[in-house]
Amino acid sequence: MASLLQPDRVLYLVHGEKKIRSSLSTLYFCRYCSELRSLECVSHEVDSHYCPSCLENMPSAEAKLKKNRCANCFDCPCCMHTLSTRATNIPAPLPDDPSKTAMKKAYYLACGFCRWTSRDVGMADKSVASGGWQEPDNPHTQRINKLIEYYQQLAQREKLERDRKKLARRRPYMPLAFSQHTIHVVEKYGLGTRLQRQRPGAPITSLAGLSLKEGEDQKEINIEPAQALDEVEPLPEDYYTRPINLPEVTSLRQRLLQPDFQPAGASQLHPKHKHLLIKRSLRCRKCEHNLSKPEFNPTSIKFKIQLVAVSYIPEVRIMSIPNLRFQKECQVLLTLTNPVESITHVTLVGCEEGDPEDINSTAKVMVPTKELVLAGKDAAADYDELAEPQDFQDDPDVVAFRKSNKIGFFIKVVPQREEDGDVTVSFKIRHDFRNLAAPIRPSEEDDAPTEAIWLTHHVELSLGPLVA
Amino acid sequence: CSKRRSSGRIHANIAAGAVVCVESEIRGDVTIGPRTVVHPKARIIAEAGPIIIGEGNLIEEQALIINSYPENIMPDTEGVEPKTMTIGINNVFEVGCVSQALKIGDNNVIESKADLGKNVILTSGCIVGACCQVNTCEVIPENTVIYGSNCMRRVQTERPQPQTLQLDFLMKILPNYHHMKKTVKGTSTPVRN
Repeated sequence: MASLLQPDRVLYLVHGEKKIRSSLSTLYFCRYCSELRSLECVSHEVDSHYCPSCLENMPSAEAKLKKNRCANCFDCPCCMHTLSTRATNIPAPLPDDPSKTAMKKAYYLACGFCRWTSRDVGMADKSVASGGWQEPDNPHTQRINKLIEYYQQLAQREKLERDRKKLARRRPYMPLAFSQHTIHVVEKYGLGTRLQRQRPGAPITSLAGLSLKEGEDQKEINIEPAQALDEVEPLPEDYYTRPINLPEVTSLRQRLLQPDFQPAGASQLHPKHKHLLIKRSLRCRKCEHNLSKPEFNPTSIKFKIQLVAVSYIPEVRIMSIPNLRFQKECQVLLTLTNPVESITHVTLVGCEEGDPEDINSTAKVMVPTKELVLAGKDAAADYDELAEPQDFQDDPDVVAFRKSNKIGFFIKVVPQREEDGDVTVSFKIRHDFRNLAAPIRPSEEDDAPTEAIWLTHHVELSLGPLVA
Repeated sequence: CSKRRSSGRIHANIAAGAVVCVESEIRGDVTIGPRTVVHPKARIIAEAGPIIIGEGNLIEEQALIINSYPENIMPDTEGVEPKTMTIGINNVFEVGCVSQALKIGDNNVIESKADLGKNVILTSGCIVGACCQVNTCEVIPENTVIYGSNCMRRVQTERPQPQTLQLDFLMKILPNYHHMKKTVKGTSTPVRN
């Protein structure tokens, strides 16, 4: 049954600032701290910018300049799909002889999904395939730029004052990575890109990318305050009586995607440049090591560093569930898969009464008391037919089957509550973990290269509803 | 068998110049105009009345054009007038679409897996997007585009171009790989399939 393999069936508990329960496929494992990490207890950093349609990489500085938009690709203003350039042949008079006409190629933008074309808004066809399209000018650009300059200067002045005060009272902990990476100036009206983490309680400003360069000369910029007008332009007389042409009215989403114009009519919807996407890298907050670092190339989906939990922690999966009846003991078949190449010993322990982590279970569970041994993952096992089957003495009451690095085992479940809702059980799984990342001490010669440490994880399983 | 006699002719009336593959299923009283291409596995079923298809249409694989009985009427009730389904010129019925609309104008495009109900009337230049189900009881105005999972609509300024290039290509290539149904020569009596 594929529904038994759904990710939310088996949840692992992550100890962090918040106790998060999520499936192993969404978790990361910091092998320096030897702990599970979820997306909420790591810091996210922007690695690189790229355009999703032309897959062109863009350095962060250029991206900031272009307001995180691609130069070549456009979005349909109607359905937000990517626009494609189409060509038609139009007769055009030859430059030397106006009486004769020759076929020239004219290009226009068209959307394959909603059939919008650039001719709908009156944009003339261009004679070059790319680069000829211009965005309409915003009449308020000058005023906005002046305001931005003024506020940047103001914020820098305030920051200098704040720094002067802070020099006396330096923060006791300064994260290690601060000194290694370049720091973009963080200001009241700006947000540094690389390494600034949001301090809890600090306001998040939305004018990103307004960092000033260090050596700019401080010239005084004065702005005129905005003037309030007493008279407002009156509404046209037929505002209430004019029948609405519904296809011409833009939807809120179409309107707000172009915040500088917000056109109310569909014939003023101009295409916008496509928004860039980012690749992000994740960093453990405690030890500052990278947990996930993607490759720089936008066409590559691989990772340079990929410390995901499924490749270090044995994974529990539900294989089959019998009919669950209230207060009757049922046997559930689970599988345990070993992701590492060495033999792993796993012990299962039920949760005690009053365990603070055990808040969701609605049934009592009896787990096998003996230690389960999992063989290592052998990548060549499929191809090697002469491999000897490893000899593990398995208790047939506990272990249902064994297949390379996976075993199936039984647990006994007694549902305790007769309510609607899923039967949930939880237990703890304790396994040995060999840390291959730890530096090998030169004095060790013939000892085991790495020592095993024992890790315990709290696992919750959702077994489905009771059968009457 | 009484059903068939009341609907008129049994055999399809395929005009000269139309390219209709033998693997397509044409049942009932169907008239197909010249320069129309019917791909294999297309189905044109005239159950509750005749179907008249104009010229220059492109009916792709697994398209279903069916003139069916309304839901609450049993096939054998007496006194039910057979309604004719009319399809104009230069329409495109893409792969897998289902059309039960009784009146379709010219230059429409019904994209893949679209579903048109019985009470819709398409005028000209309409585009019904892929997987859109239109089963309202209305006349779709000209040059309307229906797209998206919520069947959003908008009006386009130009009608879709007739697929003359594609039609010419298919009319040359399809006979190389498929057998064709026999067409009517001039004004002679209809030929048996």
